[in-house]
Amino acid sequence: MAEITLRNLTKRWGDVVGVDDQSLHIRDREFLVLLGPSGCGKTTTMRMIAGLEEPTAGEIWIGDRMVNHDLPKDRDVAMVFQNYGLYPHMSIFENIAYPLRVRQVPADQIRPRVEDAARKVELTDLLDRRPRALSGGQRQRVALARAIVRTPKVFLMDEPLSNLDAKLRVTMRAELKHLSRELATTTVYVTHDQIEAMTLADRVAVMRDGIIQQLGTPDEIYNDPANLFVAGFIGSPAMNLVAGSIHGGEFVADGGTRLTQVAVNDRDAVILGVRADDIRISEPGEGRIDVPIYAFENTGDSTLLTAQWDSQRIIARGDRHLRKDQNDVVSITLNPEHLYFFDPRSGSRLRG
Amino acid sequence: MRDNVLKYVLVAPAVLVVLVTAIWPLAESARLSFTVGRLNRPDSLKQYLGWDNYVWALLEEPAFWNSVWVTGIYTLLTVGLTTFLALGLAILLAPGGRLRSGVQTLLILPFAMSPALIGVSFRFMFNPEFGLFDAFFGALIPPLAQVSWLADPILAFAVCVMADVWGWIPFLTLVLIGGLVSVPRETLEAAEVDGAGPWRVFRDVTLPQLAPVLAVAVILKSIFSLKTFDQIFMLTNGGPGTATQTLSHYIYFNGMKYGQVGFAASVAWLMVIPMVFLTYAYARLVFRKDRDP
Repeated sequence: MAEITLRNLTKRWGDVVGVDDQSLHIRDREFLVLLGPSGCGKTTTMRMIAGLEEPTAGEIWIGDRMVNHDLPKDRDVAMVFQNYGLYPHMSIFENIAYPLRVRQVPADQIRPRVEDAARKVELTDLLDRRPRALSGGQRQRVALARAIVRTPKVFLMDEPLSNLDAKLRVTMRAELKHLSRELATTTVYVTHDQIEAMTLADRVAVMRDGIIQQLGTPDEIYNDPANLFVAGFIGSPAMNLVAGSIHGGEFVADGGTRLTQVAVNDRDAVILGVRADDIRISEPGEGRIDVPIYAFENTGDSTLLTAQWDSQRIIARGDRHLRKDQNDVVSITLNPEHLYFFDPRSGSRLRG
Repeated sequence: MRDNVLKYVLVAPAVLVVLVTAIWPLAESARLSFTVGRLNRPDSLKQYLGWDNYVWALLEEPAFWNSVWVTGIYTLLTVGLTTFLALGLAILLAPGGRLRSGVQTLLILPFAMSPALIGVSFRFMFNPEFGLFDAFFGALIPPLAQVSWLADPILAFAVCVMADVWGWIPFLTLVLIGGLVSVPRETLEAAEVDGAGPWRVFRDVTLPQLAPVLAVAVILKSIFSLKTFDQIFMLTNGGPGTATQTLSHYIYFNGMKYGQVGFAASVAWLMVIPMVFLTYAYARLVFRKDRDP
């Protein structure tokens, strides 16, 4: 059990900056997700914690020890790789036992511990096979079992679910969550999938271009985004971002439509953010503005309605029983309690 | 012309070439191995002896067993040394290794030289009067100044091995670099995180995954070592005495120098035995369908 502290961590390859002077404190037993698009530095950050990548500058602390100069084997971390990194020439049993064998765990303890780890990920019947004979989901379990077979200070997981098909990913996600709560070990989890981040994390660090954009609970990230990037990155469908201005306490979209009353000072250029769930759909004339439907999608558990007026589009989520057609006219109303305003130049959030 | 006739017509030239250049000489050498077969007596090429040549080689001829012994040791040493050194170089030269680019190009050079040329240049370098090695050793280790490298049976053998290893390292290095590149990096990193130091990562993870490629390299090199001829011919011509006389050289000597083509042919066919085993093993490794049961 340990906390992890990154101090002014930087990674550069020549002119390319992977991670740019970032500091981060990961609490003991916390499940922290590094979330961001590919190339944002999240995997590099994790690899530096593992010791597979050497930082250009800054310090990495695990517990009360600075580990910058320690080899991976001396850092007492366990890692699950995106492509699993299983040893193809060893049986599943030997794969899981390997961390114990290299650490000279007494031979009589190895079998019970491997079997225990295998039981936790439901692999007991497959211990004699080779990795090649296993499905993607089973290989993923082997990688997990290999990580949990000893009790490391830290778990590192590098997009562990990204090679699984969509259905299996949902199942494994739940198993991972269950396992992480059971083990209660400090975990750093890298993903580009916001659903994984939202569901698994105690806290999420959203990264972009080597810089942490926001660090917060999934709730905070979703409901209180710090800037335009986080607002646009989190949520499916993505948050609606409408360009416009604020005059006399009213938001006016580019094109002249007066969308809603707001409590932000007047500005010439502003971006309004609103989630699809925070837009109410009603019959024409009943809501704030009437708009024609650009596209109507039924996803089964809800409906998505894209409205078009002037040059802008806005997407709203409707009841799953709502039925409309393209070019029908509906009325929409924005929930004034859940509107976000951003400076279009800096992208930073404008409050109050 | 009908298609089923045409296909034979089209294949015929290729079959003919193989028949004339490969099958016929093979069959002819097999036939010769059962004859008296002396070049100075044309009628002897038709005088059949049964298995006498084979029996003579195996039971009555110490020179044959000497060349078997020489070839065996030579193969063992060259295969072992070449593989060991090539593996070391491949690790240094593989992507992520410590040396690269410029060195890799330089490395190809010995492989671009013909074995006969390697033989000639090594003979020059070990020349007792003006050889490069002689000058080096003489300057560095004075007692070695007067050693005549190619005149001493053991040293001459060592020089032959050295020249062969030098010439073959590049090829094996390239093969092994290819093998190392195909070892998934994640398995190496997983082992590092699992707690293995560099040596254990190599022993437990890299080497087992490299094994199929390594086996192919060792078998190929064994085949080439077994049939070494041109280099030995240029470097020592089998001498001093018969200290470096490999089987190929022994066959050449008996067939071409002494004119005993019948006997030479029988020795050549004896040499086929280990070759067939090695080729079979090679084919099994290279063409097997299922790489991991």
